[in-house]
Amino acid sequence: MTLETEFVPLCIEELPALAAEKKAEGARFVQLLAVNAEEGVDLIYTFMRDGVLTNHEIKGVGPSTVVPSITDQFLAAFVFENEVHDLFGVSISDIAIDFGGNFYALAQKEPMTIISPEQKAAREKARKLAAAKAAKERQPAARAAQAEYLAGHPDAHPGKPRGPIEPSGSDDLDARLAGVDPEKVARVKAALAAKAKKASETAAGNAELEKKLAGMDPEKAAKVRAAMEAKARREPSATEKEGE
Amino acid sequence: MGKATVIPFGPQHPVLPEPLHLDLVVEDETVVEAIPQIGFVHRGLEKLVETRDYNQFIYVAERICGICAFGHSMGYAETVERLMGVEIPERAECLRVIWHELSRVHSHILWMGLAADAFGFESLFMHCWRLRERVLDIFEKTTGGRVIFSVVKVGGVVRDIDEGQLAEIKRVLEGIKDDYSQIMNAFLKDTSVKNRTVGVGFVSHEDALSMSMVGPFARASNVNYDVRMLGNGGYGRLSDFKPVLDTQGDCYARVKVRALEVLQSIDIIEEMIAQLPSGDIAVSVKGSPADGAEAANLVEQPRGECYYYARGNGTKNLERMRMRTPTSQNLAGMTTALSGCDLADVNMIVLTIDPCISCTER
Repeated sequence: MTLETEFVPLCIEELPALAAEKKAEGARFVQLLAVNAEEGVDLIYTFMRDGVLTNHEIKGVGPSTVVPSITDQFLAAFVFENEVHDLFGVSISDIAIDFGGNFYALAQKEPMTIISPEQKAAREKARKLAAAKAAKERQPAARAAQAEYLAGHPDAHPGKPRGPIEPSGSDDLDARLAGVDPEKVARVKAALAAKAKKASETAAGNAELEKKLAGMDPEKAAKVRAAMEAKARREPSATEKEGE
Repeated sequence: MGKATVIPFGPQHPVLPEPLHLDLVVEDETVVEAIPQIGFVHRGLEKLVETRDYNQFIYVAERICGICAFGHSMGYAETVERLMGVEIPERAECLRVIWHELSRVHSHILWMGLAADAFGFESLFMHCWRLRERVLDIFEKTTGGRVIFSVVKVGGVVRDIDEGQLAEIKRVLEGIKDDYSQIMNAFLKDTSVKNRTVGVGFVSHEDALSMSMVGPFARASNVNYDVRMLGNGGYGRLSDFKPVLDTQGDCYARVKVRALEVLQSIDIIEEMIAQLPSGDIAVSVKGSPADGAEAANLVEQPRGECYYYARGNGTKNLERMRMRTPTSQNLAGMTTALSGCDLADVNMIVLTIDPCISCTER
């Protein structure tokens, strides 16, 4: 015979029937414990029979929920039911020996449910670090899977660099703006026309400047070009500003 | 029949090494009802698991109780190993058994001394504690500590016992056996001792079962249960293990069961030493318990079955660690044993349960 343990979910409504069933089949009550969880307090009732340790879990008991006592079947549970009440604030009805919150002489009410903000932040940080570490550990496997896929699919080009996105044609724009408020459509079109006009003016200005520089002393022209490039680097262009 | 009166017993009482309060409802000299109360030394050690990682907490676990220190560190480590799916070397399992059984020997002899003191046999108390010192010397030589050993870690043990030390342990235990048999005779055959223990604090087999009692307290009422018979860890290597039982269910039976368990533990240690496998004493444990993973475990402490539960949250800290100690389980049985007894026998009955309040409150 070896120790076997199992965890079984349980509803509060099923608890009295479970206790009666365990008593009838000759199981031994081992313990009751509480776990402070996000959704409330989890209660775990443990019974043992023939070397099997069965843990019945009630999830998320809220502060307003009243849990029935099992001391009518297992008197030994009175210690644990008083403990769960005093340390976790769980309400339990009809305990055979009920100390009414005075089983533990405590300075703090429900001390086991208190989680400080620092503790909560530390836990959250630890969870994120663990998730990042797990993601990092998954990367080699993902790369290996991709390499395997590429070996079987020679036509696939996952590493091909993407070119600049070509601006959509006006037909495409009309199709995209179909059904939009006409006033808004007019504003968008006016903005696009102004942008196109400014671009053509800039291009014309650049052509005129090149023409002037061609007629100048080459050494002076090089200095002017360097000065203009430096200015362009210092001041982002108007289009870039708009983009921001 | 006289008027019912409530007599407070403890938390400070000459017979109690730890604070336990009892409201004794008496009619004349007869106890009608006993209502226990604890909570005087609650330290919130289970809560500490939120701020100590699973390797550090082992040193908290063994400080739950000065007598069951090794058992708690072993029980905690086994539970975390179950939680993380760690298998430890066979030599480490056997070394744990040796130290755990030595703890049982010293705990039972300590208890016998306290019992002798409770029924007014002070020289017997001195003899018991003198004998216990020899077991503590073994601890000091093999672990460096006499009370807190810190030799268990998650994944095995941190110190080995060499051949020379094993031979020394065998030699010391042989010597203890001789002296111990004389002490045992005083407990089991002396008329004045038997007058205080025979027929006192009776708990029937049926009551012991229905109260879910554990340990020597239950086995004295013929409850055939001892966690060691499940063969966990190194106990699976024992050729034959049968719990020490008695059918009388009184204080005398409880003394007898504990007295015989000392000899049984010495036999287990000798068997373990004879078949101690060679090899590593620990494995490296890395990573953290998975979020939401749960594990439960049982260990037979000197006072009875101790239940351990752990829940992980994906970090180095556990979400919850729980120890349900044998005394918590035996409080209901204690109230039954006290009902109907003479007021003068209350201290004897309370002691034969061997209450450990530090364990109970943690």
